Amino acid sequence: MTYEKREFIADLAVIGSGLAGMAASIFALKRGISTAQAGNTGALAYTTGYLDLLGDAGTGAAEHLGDPWAGIRELQKSQPNHPLARVPENDIHEAFTEFTSFISECGIAYGAPGKVNLKALTPAGTTKPTFSVPATMQPGVDALASQARCVIIDFKGLRGFSGRQVVANLKDRWPGLTTERVSFPDMPMGEIYPEVMARALEVPGTREKLADAIKSVRGDAQVIGLPAILGMHNPDLVMTELSRLLGCPVFEIPTMPPSVPGIRLREMFEQVFPKKGLTLVPQQKVRSVEFDTDSVQLVLADNHGPIIIHAKAVILATGRFLSGGLEAEQTGIVEPLVNLPVAQPTSRDSWYSMEYMGRDGHAIHQCGIRVDDAFRPLDKDGKVVDPRLFAAGVILAHQDWIRGRCGAGVAISSAYRAVQGAEQIILQKNN
Amino acid sequence: MTSSPTSQAGTAIETVKTDVLIIGGGATGTGIMRDLALRSVHCRLIDKQDLCAGASGGNHGLLHSGARYVLSDPHSASECREEGEILKRTSSQCIENTGGLFVAVKGDDEGFIRDFPALCQAAGIPVQELTPKEALELEPQLSKDIIAAYAVPDATIDPFRLALENVNHARELNDSTYHPHTTLCDFEIGDGRIIAAFCRDSRTGKELRIVAKQYVNAGGAWAMDIARLAGCNDVNLLYSKGTLLISHDRLTTRVINRLRPPADGDILVPGGTVSVLGTTSLRTDDLENVRPTIAEVDKNVVEGTAMVPALAHARYIRAFSRVRPLVQHGDDQNDRNVARSFALMNHEDQNLNNFCTITGGKLTTFRLMAEKTSDLVAKRLGNTEPCTTATTPLPGGQACKWTEPGASPKYWYEANNSEDMILCECEMVPQSAIDQIVLCAPGAENEMTLEAIALRSRAGKGPCQGSFCGIRIASYLYDRGYYQDTTGLHHMKSFFNERFKGLRTIIWGQQAAQMELAEALHCGLLGLDRLEEKKTNKADNE
Amino acid sequence: MSEAKTPTINFKQKAMELLPEGASFDACLTCGLCSSGCPASGLENMDPRKFIRMAMLGMDEELSTTPWVWTCTQCKRCQHVCPMNIDISQLVFLARGNWPKDKKPSGIVRSCELTRSTDSTSAMGLQPDDFVFVVNDVLEEVRETQPQFKDMVAPIDKKGAHFFVNQNSREPMSEPDEMVPLWKIFHLVGADWTYSSKGWAAENFCMFSGDEAAWYEVIKTRVDATNELGCAVWLNTECGHSYYTMWNAINRFGMEANFKIESLVTYYAQWIREGKLPVNSDWNTKNIKFTVQDPCQIVRKAYGDSIADDLRFVTKKLVGEENFIDMQPNRSANYCCGGGGGFLQAGMTDQRRAYGKRKFDQIMATQADYVLTPCHNCHSQMEDIGHFYGGQYQVVHFWTLICLSLGILGENERTYLGPDLANLGL
Repeated sequence: MTYEKREFIADLAVIGSGLAGMAASIFALKRGISTAQAGNTGALAYTTGYLDLLGDAGTGAAEHLGDPWAGIRELQKSQPNHPLARVPENDIHEAFTEFTSFISECGIAYGAPGKVNLKALTPAGTTKPTFSVPATMQPGVDALASQARCVIIDFKGLRGFSGRQVVANLKDRWPGLTTERVSFPDMPMGEIYPEVMARALEVPGTREKLADAIKSVRGDAQVIGLPAILGMHNPDLVMTELSRLLGCPVFEIPTMPPSVPGIRLREMFEQVFPKKGLTLVPQQKVRSVEFDTDSVQLVLADNHGPIIIHAKAVILATGRFLSGGLEAEQTGIVEPLVNLPVAQPTSRDSWYSMEYMGRDGHAIHQCGIRVDDAFRPLDKDGKVVDPRLFAAGVILAHQDWIRGRCGAGVAISSAYRAVQGAEQIILQKNN
Repeated sequence: MTSSPTSQAGTAIETVKTDVLIIGGGATGTGIMRDLALRSVHCRLIDKQDLCAGASGGNHGLLHSGARYVLSDPHSASECREEGEILKRTSSQCIENTGGLFVAVKGDDEGFIRDFPALCQAAGIPVQELTPKEALELEPQLSKDIIAAYAVPDATIDPFRLALENVNHARELNDSTYHPHTTLCDFEIGDGRIIAAFCRDSRTGKELRIVAKQYVNAGGAWAMDIARLAGCNDVNLLYSKGTLLISHDRLTTRVINRLRPPADGDILVPGGTVSVLGTTSLRTDDLENVRPTIAEVDKNVVEGTAMVPALAHARYIRAFSRVRPLVQHGDDQNDRNVARSFALMNHEDQNLNNFCTITGGKLTTFRLMAEKTSDLVAKRLGNTEPCTTATTPLPGGQACKWTEPGASPKYWYEANNSEDMILCECEMVPQSAIDQIVLCAPGAENEMTLEAIALRSRAGKGPCQGSFCGIRIASYLYDRGYYQDTTGLHHMKSFFNERFKGLRTIIWGQQAAQMELAEALHCGLLGLDRLEEKKTNKADNE
Repeated sequence: MSEAKTPTINFKQKAMELLPEGASFDACLTCGLCSSGCPASGLENMDPRKFIRMAMLGMDEELSTTPWVWTCTQCKRCQHVCPMNIDISQLVFLARGNWPKDKKPSGIVRSCELTRSTDSTSAMGLQPDDFVFVVNDVLEEVRETQPQFKDMVAPIDKKGAHFFVNQNSREPMSEPDEMVPLWKIFHLVGADWTYSSKGWAAENFCMFSGDEAAWYEVIKTRVDATNELGCAVWLNTECGHSYYTMWNAINRFGMEANFKIESLVTYYAQWIREGKLPVNSDWNTKNIKFTVQDPCQIVRKAYGDSIADDLRFVTKKLVGEENFIDMQPNRSANYCCGGGGGFLQAGMTDQRRAYGKRKFDQIMATQADYVLTPCHNCHSQMEDIGHFYGGQYQVVHFWTLICLSLGILGENERTYLGPDLANLGL
């Protein structure tokens, strides 16, 4: 039995299907660049749905940043190698605007990026600074700010999300906050997952039953909070409909994995990109990348045999350890696909600080791929590895996306710059 | 050195009475508690942390056949053999009778190999020679390079369950009481007797005065400090730090020992569903900040790999260190050669007639140590009942069973109750286990933290090391009304901090991915790194 | 009944042996994406993550005996959504095969035995002679009653034909008129095709029973029959698992197959693109809404999204772009309906319907009137859950709609159309 080897030809190849890879594809599509994207989904599935720009510039300030732009200017001075310090502010703003308007058009509305950070709710009953939130989560930000009378609804069988916990930790700051528990319609027994609830709420009949259940416990609440279950494919519609049935705003709070917002984004991208003409090979890891004189070739395979993607430029957006873009070996950290040098501490002893939750975070998160201002990876001697190769997202060195609350910021901004650079190369080659 | 029974704030301090106050909730302290309770003596047991926080909880969990000591300490070897046999009879729920192998690889001392069986026989330890091929058939993960192998009756023991069962039994027998997180601050002494012990709850700061007839120092590595509080200068200890690793997988069925004089990384012990590799040995003076180092971890891996090559690529989920007290007799610089026997001191030449100290020894001989100590205490109390721990089976407490690896999924699966949701998915600990533990496990009289729950179950012991279940359990406890304010978040944070201590040195390979996800959750999603310090009157934990 | 004891499998060891390094059970982050995305989660109080953890915790006896393995349809969605790409279905297959025969669901066992009982490899036990008779009988009637098709052929054992066409037994056995639309399509595009009297049937419950030897035996008959006739393409018609069971077995067992294995769906798309099947949606004046069910066996587990795109291309041509509504999720991320893995034959009706609730919700969310699917098991399951949960939709084969669109669907070929289309074009 023989297979036909499948070959795809594109101007740009994006490796990685996380936030940075998706952002790169969006920017490429917007610029009319023919694009192929491949790569396993790693950390995207775990996102909260909040898009952070920068919440902590590492100044040791007790409070999170209210103004992320001020934080970026701080980074430009104190951490000039930080990816966010290397993208012009206008480009960052433009990148976020392009990104959020694209996904908004695709059915997951996001707030337009503004001047300040928002204070968003977490399932622990704490708040986190973020830059842009889905429309389904915005009323929660507003309700906290306005101290509206609010009831948090939680569900029998849903683990890791407790309305009582949210209230217990916010009650000092938000006296009008209460909680009630209901059973999710037609799921009376055992463990239930947000994903299942979200999909069930795509059915009008389920929304009506849930609204009835909530009505009986809502009391005099002016706004109603739920775990992130407001639909999977049509969250905006589900929120609007549920609001209509309840006669007041409803909002979602992110939950611990496995959670809805990441699955929502992934499924949306997987559907939208091919429709827009992008060649997407989802859920398959690129096995190798070869830089020939004529083209860059990505070699991978799926169930049906080998696939080769030929491109004029490549963006490496393979993420960190969780997504496999970096691998931590006992003796050191490596980049397994292109074998790029990884900026890292001299010994494993320096990877992690002694205190887990210490303010300074951990040096291992600062390691990664070093790039020039055009986001082209550098070799050991500081020279560009290949003018056709760009890197974007959290694989980049000199940033700590977790403690900096800047994962989306780094992903979107660096992808924007990488696509700009790749476009130059492609234009040169095509002329 | 007396003080009036009022606190610094001037309020009256609660005083409680007992026959015997035992200081130190390790295997020995809890063993004494049970031994005395069996003789109808009421005890209070205090620990400044919680059960098995010292060397009792920080070891391989190996119930020695004695074969390891046949050359260096034949007396201990015989003692181990006898005690091992007793415990297998009386405390079988805490023991897995795995059997053990001693294996030598190319390059190991052939003289030692040759002498080994005779030394075992001299100590009364059954030993059976195996060909390398036979050994490999029994344990396929062994190195193909082994040149000699002997089977001995090693077994494994769960020290946490043992301590919990001891306390539980004592509680059932005569209401003997355990006070976790209770630090001994001072003794009130007069007329050649200790009159009372001043203690403080290390979490709430609340003070407690305990008046007993007899005081037992079972402080393990801290025994010297405790003795000095009572003015006794006759306890001289050396401290040896050991570091061990836990693999995600159980790699062997049996205990695997290197057939050579004791050295680093030469024992691999199955622990239910995992394997424990160790140990290193380093002299230390620091009892409080004992943590594994990268060098110790790597040393264990390198040495262990000679016996079991899969250790080179295994996924490790934890490393831990403990300090072992060695009773100082001479000036031999090799800690492994220091006699592993224990010391019981009656302190009568220190002008105290109701205080004694028991230290040294090892987990395998804890019962014997408890027996000797209890004999002394009983005699002083005029109690003539004999020790019965060698023959009385240790009853199984309902709330003590959750520490056994792989057991909670079995209970859960058999019950087949979909409403009993799993909170720790790695080790499959259901909410009914958490309910039972916070309700009635030993120590539940006090507020339970996530760490305390984890100590009494397998929660947090799997590959995610509590990063998911810490969140789920805390939410569940909020649901139950157990937490009503930010305490739950602080407990979560300190639980994750504590688990991290065991992770820090083994974060490579798959564990780096796991850790990145954990940190993204704990800091990125929940914001625990930015949790405001809780304003309590929490006292210094020394 | 004998009391055969179920042998105990060492699942952890088997996972290490069968799965690639870095994607085996020890790579699990225990995040739960697998369970969250699995319709069998909660059935028998189990889910994929629990399966992995129980394997790692050594609960081999429980895993060897849990009936959950018969509710997992081995659809591989868990692997699809796993960041570590861990495949659980292979171990489920192993567990199924390990059950003593008399404890396995008798429906699956019986179907496998029937498949092996004749050269037809038909799970309904239809003999080669009977199959040949039915085909000729139906053909003769169509040629007589539908003059437009008086020259239509349904060759059997034609050497050197381009396509070796398989057939689900349900048609010759109980609804023979349903074969006709397929023949008409072949006739119209001028395909050079043949049935075979040997190995013509599509089903393979031996794979679902976990019986590797029987699976091999059935495929061997089919491969030999195809080689013998010298056909260039083994063409799988509208059946999901028959494709997977053949394609996977040839790779798995290293069989010599001198032909390509293809799905009819890709040819539908090709023939429409080439103009050989001039379908259109003009008939759909009432804007009746359609959705498509992606069979796991040909999409996620085999071709991937490319065949799913073909399915959509064909559907849109047939019903009009504006009348097509996709299910969510879809293509490679689609949920198994619960008809796969032999579930329909396993006698576990309650569990199967609980499993199918997600599919039902997906269909209801589209608010479509019809579900199109090229898979008989999907077809039956979606009909059943529709009736059970009170859905108003119909489930139809592609061949029905293609012929409807072309105005060549006969009166007796409309079993699955609803009243709104029952008489259209007659």
